[in-house]
Amino acid sequence: MFELLWLIPALPLAGFLVIALMGGALARRAVAVIGVGSVGAAAIVSVGVAAQFISAPPPGDSLTQVLWAWLEVGLLRPHVALCLDALSVTMILVVTVVGFLILLYSAEFMGDDESYAWFFAYMDLFVASMLILALADNLFFLYLGWEGVGLCSYLLIGFWYKERENARAAMKAFIVTRVGDVGLAVALLLIFTSLGTLQIQEVMRRAAQEWAVGSNTATLAAALLLCGAVGKSAQAPLQTWLPDAMAGPTPVSALIHAATMVTAGVYLIARTNGLFSLAPAVQSVVAIIGVATLLLGGLSALVQRDIKRVLAYSTMSQIGYMFLALGVGAWSAAIFHFATHAFFKSLLFLGAGAVLLATDEQRDMFKLGGLRAEMPYTFWTFVAGAASLAALPLVTGGFYSKDMMLWNAWTSPKGSPWLWLGGALGALITALYAFRMVFLTFFGERKSVVSRRPGPIMRIPMGILAVLSIFAGFLETPGWLGGMDYLSPFLGTALPGLPHAKSQPAMELFLQALTSLLCVSGVLVAYLLFVAHPEVPDRIAAIKAGGWLQGFWFSGWGFDRVYEFIVVKPFVRIALANRGDVVDTLFTGLARANEALHSSLSRTQTGKLRDYALGVVAGAVLAIGIMVLL
Amino acid sequence: MTFIELYALLPLICLAATPVAALAAIAVSRDHAVVTLVTLIGLGLSFFGLCAVRPLVPMQITPLVVMDGYTLFFVGLILITTAAVALLSYQYLERREGHPEEYYPLLLFAALGACVVAASNHFASFFVGLETLGVSLYALIAYQRAAPRGIEAGIKYLILAATADAILLFGMALIYAKSGSLEFSETATSLAGDYSGLEMAGLALLVSGIAFKLSLVPFHMWTPDVYEGAPAPITGFISTVSKGAVFALLLRYFGEVPAQDFSSVAFCFSAIALASMLAGNLLALLQDNVKRMLAYSSIAHLGYLLVAFLAQRELAVTAVAYYFVAYFLSILGAFGVVGILSGSEGEAEDIKDYQGLIWRRPWIGAVFVTMLLSLAGIPLTAGFVGKFYVLWAGVDSSLWMLVLVLIGTSVIGLFYYLRLIAAMFGSPEAPREELRGRRAGFEAAAAVLGVLTILVIWLGVYPSPLIELIRRSAALSGF
Repeated sequence: MFELLWLIPALPLAGFLVIALMGGALARRAVAVIGVGSVGAAAIVSVGVAAQFISAPPPGDSLTQVLWAWLEVGLLRPHVALCLDALSVTMILVVTVVGFLILLYSAEFMGDDESYAWFFAYMDLFVASMLILALADNLFFLYLGWEGVGLCSYLLIGFWYKERENARAAMKAFIVTRVGDVGLAVALLLIFTSLGTLQIQEVMRRAAQEWAVGSNTATLAAALLLCGAVGKSAQAPLQTWLPDAMAGPTPVSALIHAATMVTAGVYLIARTNGLFSLAPAVQSVVAIIGVATLLLGGLSALVQRDIKRVLAYSTMSQIGYMFLALGVGAWSAAIFHFATHAFFKSLLFLGAGAVLLATDEQRDMFKLGGLRAEMPYTFWTFVAGAASLAALPLVTGGFYSKDMMLWNAWTSPKGSPWLWLGGALGALITALYAFRMVFLTFFGERKSVVSRRPGPIMRIPMGILAVLSIFAGFLETPGWLGGMDYLSPFLGTALPGLPHAKSQPAMELFLQALTSLLCVSGVLVAYLLFVAHPEVPDRIAAIKAGGWLQGFWFSGWGFDRVYEFIVVKPFVRIALANRGDVVDTLFTGLARANEALHSSLSRTQTGKLRDYALGVVAGAVLAIGIMVLL
Repeated sequence: MTFIELYALLPLICLAATPVAALAAIAVSRDHAVVTLVTLIGLGLSFFGLCAVRPLVPMQITPLVVMDGYTLFFVGLILITTAAVALLSYQYLERREGHPEEYYPLLLFAALGACVVAASNHFASFFVGLETLGVSLYALIAYQRAAPRGIEAGIKYLILAATADAILLFGMALIYAKSGSLEFSETATSLAGDYSGLEMAGLALLVSGIAFKLSLVPFHMWTPDVYEGAPAPITGFISTVSKGAVFALLLRYFGEVPAQDFSSVAFCFSAIALASMLAGNLLALLQDNVKRMLAYSSIAHLGYLLVAFLAQRELAVTAVAYYFVAYFLSILGAFGVVGILSGSEGEAEDIKDYQGLIWRRPWIGAVFVTMLLSLAGIPLTAGFVGKFYVLWAGVDSSLWMLVLVLIGTSVIGLFYYLRLIAAMFGSPEAPREELRGRRAGFEAAAAVLGVLTILVIWLGVYPSPLIELIRRSAALSGF
């Protein structure tokens, strides 16, 4: 099976090429079959590869498949090579399976769109790039995937580009993530110049040998990598693009801006964990960014009106949890939460998509409501996703992954009760906003007409994802609950584990009970505020401080305004001041000089034979002169 | 000459027999398709012969020619290119008045001359090959007798090439006068010791003659006029086969006679390279005639190749060979597009003819865009990898001045390629002459273009097999 590894990124890429080149000539059904089928085939291959990887692990628990060398000059040998280890196996499984389900859903969801073929072409290209990113054996190739997913994200956010706002959101996403990407590119150059290689395992090995713990180079390299991760994963302070990115079609939000691309930063940090271990200061920053973002995103999600923006802030906040786990060195827990989050968050987006389709793009939750009876299937799957997001104890996947991260934040040598406290507070907020969303959308009186219900093609992925969101948690349960651990020993072959903390079952149980209590009370408070006494929130908003806080959180903590003020405005002002293009005179001057040279040289092309012959003879004389006399 | 030596010449013998067969076929009946078929079969047999003699190389056959890995590589390249030109010419000639048949024997003679040049390591065979190539080209350039510009181009090329040949011959004579031999290796031994002004003058004249054939500055002035006047497929042939063969010879001669180690010779080549890169790109800058633009750009490309030529030996061979393959593919594709778009009267050579091409004829437009991007050296095309190797060769030998100019002028080059591409993406405009319309042989030409496009991208993404082939060929020769 391993020799088929290359097919996993190649199949979606082929799907992209076929649709992009022949899209106009293909029937819609054919486009859907190719677009969905290529990712489905990649998912089947991934499952096969994963099964073999688990049943008969390759020596050293990792496998490198060198496809070819692109260039070979000196030290620079960018090989096109794929690397399979426990981390990338988990990644490709989630990407292909979730990707397949979302694409299947899109086949119906996008059914009326005029650019149906381009949608599937871009989605396939995205999946291919994401798989390249996950399987890349060197950072150069990883960067290719990294930029590829960024490009597809741009194209798909602005998919309905005829609305000016959407095009603006696409540009914002591209430019803000680019700020981080610059950091990543510089990190690559730094690593290559100081270690002489970009092959990931080799980089980790040499870095451990040549760089001392906490040395300046290691800190700088890790910090630059973190820049890239922060931009891509929408963490503070580069989180502002994610809520606006909801301008894209809902399946895009589900796949790119919830399940896969935005977690690329988490993957990058987990992949280069060796460098972060050498830079403890940066690693603490990772944890702090995580906690800050999870609180910031959660509180903002609490006051949004647009259902997709709630989910966007929630994604930000959940990735914050993953960053927290990475920051305390709980690499496996972060990847565990990545997987459960991919399931429940894409499920929530698909549910939201079904609601939007039914109510003619009514995104404002206060104008929805009472859809429970109208759309029972969507309601129940949505509740499954929301419960998992809220981490309702025992019965949801999100509970187990969040619990593992919080417990590690408490016990890890790099963790602290403060980090735990931030996470636990976040859990309360999460439950509150998750069920606020459920209650506002599906309970109360009906305010909108349901024109259309999801058909089977949309229902199947939602059902499967609902099952996955509930049961994926049983891969890893705490000691008193069976102590199942399928994932962490498996991931442990690729990611370093935590130093074994001494067992404190009582403490663990106590903390679990505490967070469970917080989650449940969050749901109850949501019920009280939005179903039983819907007038209370308005009354809170009517108080001055309450209203101010609401506005502050609603705008995403005013980051946009600050950036507008300190970055965009000055930039525009400089651009305006430079209207006469002072800087450009140098370049236009160069262009003018070239044009002048062109026209004077053109005059030598007279078309007259005697001039040409003169040129030949003069050249020969000159050559003799140079060679004989010099 | 033993039988085995004769056998080793099989590819050249096949190639020499093909035009004779083609002429015989014409004598029996004038049929365009039959002649083309004979041509292709002959080229195929010759290529097959190339594979057959591969185990025998390297072998010196008489003092005149040498069959080694290097020869095989370039002969193979020439044969494939000639076949592509023949296929591209079919639909072009089919559209025009006059007899198309004699075109093919001339093309084959030209290819034979080019192969002999690539295989020669003796001044006599070099000159005979060069003249075979040249005389066939005069006729091919002026093949459209009705077109006044074709005749003009043919005459110009004839007179100037004769001048250059005279210079070349005089250079050879001077070298012979000193060394008493026409064999490359013999002239090397005499040069290795003390060298006199006489010998250096001979070398300078030799370089001048070769530079004329390669259209390097200041011997370049014929290029745009000839490119413009010749039929588009022949323009493709001149800029690929005739230059490739002469450059192969240059590499071989200066491999045997390491004269570029003399600072004055190296200086002369550097000056030519600098002037070619600058003048070629600057002249192409605002050129509205696509064929002239490609002519000027070919001057620049040959300048880039000289940078690799001046680099250290093994790297130079790899870089030059790779660059040539990339350049052959892209320039053939570009002139193929020009040929396919040309009507029965004039040619599609004005930039206006390409306005909105991508919307009018998306496939052909896409092919042209690929070719231009490859010529500009954009990543993921063969042209990028070629240019990368050339740059690497230059950097490795610390030719900083040349490398910097190469980079700077590549930027200028980007402008005129992109200018044409931008025009192709512009709003469609009704062409002056309706270019559409199927004609016999269109499929063949389209297939050639398709293959060229795939190869350009394939070699840009997956260059290692070709690099491997080049290294093995180089190992089978003296380098």
